[in-house]
Amino acid sequence: MASLLNESIRTQVRDVFENQLKQPVGVILFEGKENCETCADTRQLLEEVSGLSDKISLEVYDLEEKADVANQYHVDKVPGIVFVGKDGDQVIDYGVRMAGIPSGHEFSTLIHDLILVSGRDSGLEQKTRDELKTLTKPVHLQVFVTPT
Amino acid sequence: MMAMESPLVEAEMVEAMEFPDLADRFNVSGVPQTTINQGAGTVVGATPEDYLLNEIKRAMG
Repeated sequence: MASLLNESIRTQVRDVFENQLKQPVGVILFEGKENCETCADTRQLLEEVSGLSDKISLEVYDLEEKADVANQYHVDKVPGIVFVGKDGDQVIDYGVRMAGIPSGHEFSTLIHDLILVSGRDSGLEQKTRDELKTLTKPVHLQVFVTPT
Repeated sequence: MMAMESPLVEAEMVEAMEFPDLADRFNVSGVPQTTINQGAGTVVGATPEDYLLNEIKRAMG
């Protein structure tokens, strides 16, 4: 199968990863056999991207077969992507998810998410961080985007 | 990235064209659009941190 990322992009991303990835980061992809037009491309894209750094590991699950794992991460769509911090065997779930293929404009979001989770740093203002720590109830944010 | 700062916050980026039913349900007309707790709050467009935070607080009641 032809690569989704050309050599120039691969070189660029490899450089960015080398300079900016800090701690190991895990990508967990949930895919489906049916009704998922973008699952195969998403898987290939994530395989290519995770292959550009030793700090990134990729796990792929079938959403239906691994419903228990999907539930644990609150994933109900395919393709569904979870970004986690890895510390040895320990998995740190920061609550960062994507639904749909991260291509086009969202490719940069994918790279950005990997860097932030790897750095264990949200990049937010201190005031925002402090206020978020005072939350007492669960907050579920869904950010709708389009690839172009 | 707010999700990283609180174990109570979960954030999902949704590709609207792939999930049109969900986008319809929350009346997504422009992107980015942020939906808070299944429609308890909505922010259309890119948003400064403090504005989104205020909307979250308002949506929580």
